[in-house]
Amino acid sequence: MTDTILFLLVDGLTNGLVYALLALSLVLVFTVTRVVNIAQGEYVMLGALTLADLLQGRMPGTLYLLVGGLALCVLLDAPRWRRDWRRALAFAGGLIVAAVAAVALTRGALALQLPVIGMMAVALVLVAPIGVLIYRFTVHPIPNATTIVFVIISVGVSMIVQGLGLLIWGANPYPVDPIASGGLMMGPVFIPYQSFAILIVALLSMGGLYLFSEFTLMGKALQASAMNRLGAQFCGIPVNMAGGLAFLLAAAFSAISGMLLAPLITANYEMGFMVGLKGFVGAAMGGLVDYPLSLVGVMIVGGLESTSAYLASAYRDVLVFSLLIPILLWRNAKQRVETR
Amino acid sequence: MRVVSVAAAVAALMVSTAAMAADKPELRIGSVVAMTGPASALGLPEKNALELLQEQIAADTSLPFTIKFITYDDGSDPTKAVNNVRKLITEDRAHVVICCTTTPTSMAILETVTQAKVPNISLALGQSVIEPVKDRHWIFKTPSTDQLQVTGLVDDMVKRGIKKVAFLGLEDSFGEGGWIALQSVAKAKGVEIVASERFSRTDTNFTPQALKVRQASPGAVYIHAIPPSSALVHQALKRVGYTGPIYHSGGSANNAFISIGKKDVDGALLGTTPVLVYTDLPDSNPLKPVISKFAALYEKRFNVAKVDIFPGQSWDAGNVAIKAAADAVKAGAKLDDVDASRAAIRDKIENGIKEFVGVGGIFNYSPTDHLGLDARSTFISVVKNDEFRLYDAK
Repeated sequence: MTDTILFLLVDGLTNGLVYALLALSLVLVFTVTRVVNIAQGEYVMLGALTLADLLQGRMPGTLYLLVGGLALCVLLDAPRWRRDWRRALAFAGGLIVAAVAAVALTRGALALQLPVIGMMAVALVLVAPIGVLIYRFTVHPIPNATTIVFVIISVGVSMIVQGLGLLIWGANPYPVDPIASGGLMMGPVFIPYQSFAILIVALLSMGGLYLFSEFTLMGKALQASAMNRLGAQFCGIPVNMAGGLAFLLAAAFSAISGMLLAPLITANYEMGFMVGLKGFVGAAMGGLVDYPLSLVGVMIVGGLESTSAYLASAYRDVLVFSLLIPILLWRNAKQRVETR
Repeated sequence: MRVVSVAAAVAALMVSTAAMAADKPELRIGSVVAMTGPASALGLPEKNALELLQEQIAADTSLPFTIKFITYDDGSDPTKAVNNVRKLITEDRAHVVICCTTTPTSMAILETVTQAKVPNISLALGQSVIEPVKDRHWIFKTPSTDQLQVTGLVDDMVKRGIKKVAFLGLEDSFGEGGWIALQSVAKAKGVEIVASERFSRTDTNFTPQALKVRQASPGAVYIHAIPPSSALVHQALKRVGYTGPIYHSGGSANNAFISIGKKDVDGALLGTTPVLVYTDLPDSNPLKPVISKFAALYEKRFNVAKVDIFPGQSWDAGNVAIKAAADAVKAGAKLDDVDASRAAIRDKIENGIKEFVGVGGIFNYSPTDHLGLDARSTFISVVKNDEFRLYDAK
């Protein structure tokens, strides 16, 4: 019996950490841009599949998305050519250079056959800019839209990206090598090394985000736009750029989470959505604005998920999503106390 | 002069083939398969096999008719399937319909073919397509069913003296089909089901369910799922220290299962059709030469390394249709009278297909059995050194 509890605890923690990176992305995006990003889970899928492609020595399909997105960016920039052709040319040139660099980087990585960690870094460089592209296409044109509009847009983005994933990679699952294969017997419980890798990488990413936002100018600009968008604008902070940066970082965190998760469950086109939603339940604990509380939330989600799968497997998702109701009641009560 | 004579010879040849075609009636076999959409991984090989059959049969002059194959795509969509079947029946005047790839599409067209009184051979897995037989007068199918495969596996459990089995299945209609089959078979064979756990394809963790199963201490575990989850559940069972035999449905009998499960799935037992293990069959087995021939043809024509189970299903369906039509014509049916010959062909499928050796097994259709397969057509395969081998029950 004790080993059962230990197993559930270890798995709950591992999954909690995966969801934690998602929750972090959601909070980051919401605070800076007021977008409740339902599509956040799709970066999990993109990260995992890109890594799977790179490890198997194929050119990743993500390049199509990236290069196609950059081309679309140039097209959307068309009106500027009449006004200010020099800067438009520089912009288009920059994007073309970026596209070529991305292809060159991938080719180089494939030729060198980098170890898993190296491939993860390359995959990260390929996936994270897609966040910025999606920001450019969906949020940037309508900065003052209401939250509900952004929610609906993000649902659309989620469907489109998942559809593109199916188109590019097909419905087959791809096995992904772990950072370190094998594992450790701790008492009666077998823990794969990948679980430790998840713990370490998740902690490093969170620490990195903290240091970035506290000690760099860009990070402070992010914080300022999160606190008060209009005020930040008056102080000369380019809030649009802050929004793009938030999408970039969020895409990077989610992609990392996908790359850590993939060796445990394989990479496939539909893996992201559920992970995204569970991260959302956790982030709701912190009202989508509070980092520490969101982390508590995802740990509760991870733990509840693994216990409910044990006790009543047919209802495990029902139980996890029902958690939203007490969370919202609790937040509501808390807010009333605070405003009084 | 020589040119003229060659030209004359060619013209004469053309006239004679045209004349030959003219004095033989035409059999029209219409099919609707999922060439696009979610089920295209099944539908495309099925279409390929029909194409191959058409090429092979074109050379066969012994048949009392010429054959026209008409194939449409349903995009894995039931509505489109119904429309295309209607088109086959009314516009193309098909004598036999082969439709459809999936269970939902096959269920959708039941009404259409029954009302039009056209024999239909389905390629779907689900038993509900042909049962109850009295309401499915015009429907037959070629793929093996869950029920048949589970029976084979439970028989093996009984042979090993296993009294308790645990069920692990997907929580969709596929998993539900396995659950229903296992319940009825286990009850009939006196095996007790001690646990029933569910999971979904997008789950991130399967250990809790594996722990629950381990706690019920079953003699065997039956997993009804498809990769990746079937392989991942198998790994989770190993991780929590379960050591008994693990059985899988035919849904896992593909290469993804091994490439995901790796060493952990060594020794997994799968219910399967003969196509997967035919090379291990003894030469005395009547299935072996038929499958070998088909596999060689198919692998050469479409340049695939190893044929899987899906093309064989439409190949069998096409051959059953041709055999029944030939019998019907021999018995005096006139193919030009479409309505009467449709009924005659249906009767010949039901009563004339006896001990018919196909790729998917040995078919014996009857008024009470529109699947026609029995225990001789289901096999258990075992994963050994990253390959599916025939499991020797002895």
